[in-house]
Amino acid sequence: MSTSPARASARLSPQSGRWPGARARLLPWLLPAAVLTGWQAASSAGLVSTRFMPAPLDVLAAGWRLAGTGELWTNLGVSFLRAATGFLIGGGIGFLLGLANGLSRLSEGLTDTTVQMIRNIPHLSLIPLVILWFGIGEEAKLFLVALGVFFPIYANTLHGIRSVDPQLIEMGRVYGLSRATLFRRVVLPGALPSVFVGLRYALGIMWLTLIVAETISASSGLGYMAMQAREFMLVDVVVLAIVIYAGLGKVADALTRQLERACLAWNPAYRAA
Amino acid sequence: MIASTLRRLDPTSLPAAASRRTAPPAASGPGTGLAVTLRGLSKDFDGTPVIRGVDLHVPAGQFVAVVGRSGCGKSTLLRLVMDLETPSGGRIGLDAARAGSPTRRIMFQEPRLLPWARVIDNVAVGLGEEGTARARQERARAALAEVGLADKADQWPATLSGGQRQRVALARALVSGPGLLALDEPLGALDALTRIGMQDLIERIWRAQGFTALLVTHDVAEAVALADRILLIEDGGIALDLRVEVPRPRRRGDPDLAALEGRILDHLLGERAALPETSR
Repeated sequence: MSTSPARASARLSPQSGRWPGARARLLPWLLPAAVLTGWQAASSAGLVSTRFMPAPLDVLAAGWRLAGTGELWTNLGVSFLRAATGFLIGGGIGFLLGLANGLSRLSEGLTDTTVQMIRNIPHLSLIPLVILWFGIGEEAKLFLVALGVFFPIYANTLHGIRSVDPQLIEMGRVYGLSRATLFRRVVLPGALPSVFVGLRYALGIMWLTLIVAETISASSGLGYMAMQAREFMLVDVVVLAIVIYAGLGKVADALTRQLERACLAWNPAYRAA
Repeated sequence: MIASTLRRLDPTSLPAAASRRTAPPAASGPGTGLAVTLRGLSKDFDGTPVIRGVDLHVPAGQFVAVVGRSGCGKSTLLRLVMDLETPSGGRIGLDAARAGSPTRRIMFQEPRLLPWARVIDNVAVGLGEEGTARARQERARAALAEVGLADKADQWPATLSGGQRQRVALARALVSGPGLLALDEPLGALDALTRIGMQDLIERIWRAQGFTALLVTHDVAEAVALADRILLIEDGGIALDLRVEVPRPRRRGDPDLAALEGRILDHLLGERAALPETSR
């Protein structure tokens, strides 16, 4: 049954006992902090050439500088908007097609083979074609992000619907639930954990696609900012862009977690600690 | 009807003690039950007959237990009556004679609760879309109180024990006031003490509501303790049709019940003892 993750995530030691409150919250940041400190120390001691690897404080200064001129915020905003729009389009289509194919044999027979064939093309290999079609305009980036995000959402939605406990569906039928109610109360909530798995994958692919697309063909955005900096040998800005990617990834992940906890509160595996 | 039985129940007394109380509920009797009539009912799966031409009449309000060895077709019989399988031949007649409710409800061997719905909402599933959401909640709450779980209304099913989940499933089956309640080995997965508690609970609610009950079980003692009538199924047909005349409330270990249980077991085991001879 779909409640099985409870067992999968069971930890051997209950966290609450030995790592109460604040300490448990700080624990995940221990390693990043140690790496940063060591890196700064190595740079200050001259062990690492700042020509190739700037010190953390230099990166921070670059961030401060670019934030001051507004360049950072503009590029960040542009990238965010592209990511979100592409994600909504591709994810929305993937979700709807996943639902349709999970619920209707006809729809699946008609589209699934085609989708599987397209899925096996690395979507980034379409970049040359996309540039020919759309130039370096917004459409090119949106198209690539939407295409990349589509597949994990589609596949996991379909799988989620397929794996809804048939005993529950039989129960719903024999208790006289209408098709619409059966979908809303049994099928959709049953598929949701799997949809969330797709969502997480899709978020990763979303950033990857966008950054690659912006690095290759763009006149704004984070990827463009990093490429420009390389031209002028501004290593600190290049590293700044990479650090921002890490931060954005973390933010997206944290948001998904919150959403999971809200939507899957019934599942012991997702309940807030 | 649920509300009327509710008042009789002291919510702190757990099912185990409840039915031993002496006075039988006044509202009992065949008023709300569905009469079930089977005529030449048969079912085969891929050419293999599972039910062979069963004729049966169950009067409204009767408590019938169906026993038999595994694979004899007793569950299939129940699923046919519940419209979960299509018969290969014959007819099923359901007759709500007087004020009977046409609703059929089933309790499965597993609770089959929606893990993403709170206990109260799981019970409300039994009401479908009838009435306002508020009225549904109220009736669900009353049904929960009847099975002694009023305080669990807002919990997730995952937090309940196996016996509690099965009681929620019982409340869901009963909340709509069904005319026929089918029970497909609903207590098979419970421990012995919990099972006895559940048996008493089912008997008490059946006596208060007067629905027709069809209990499929492999536990002969359970059949003898609960039923008005016991059907022994063998090779897809009714091999034995026994009345249980022992008055209620029945005491576990009553000699009449024990004698009856022995007779049924003899029949079941005699069949096994006879097997090597016939195969020779």
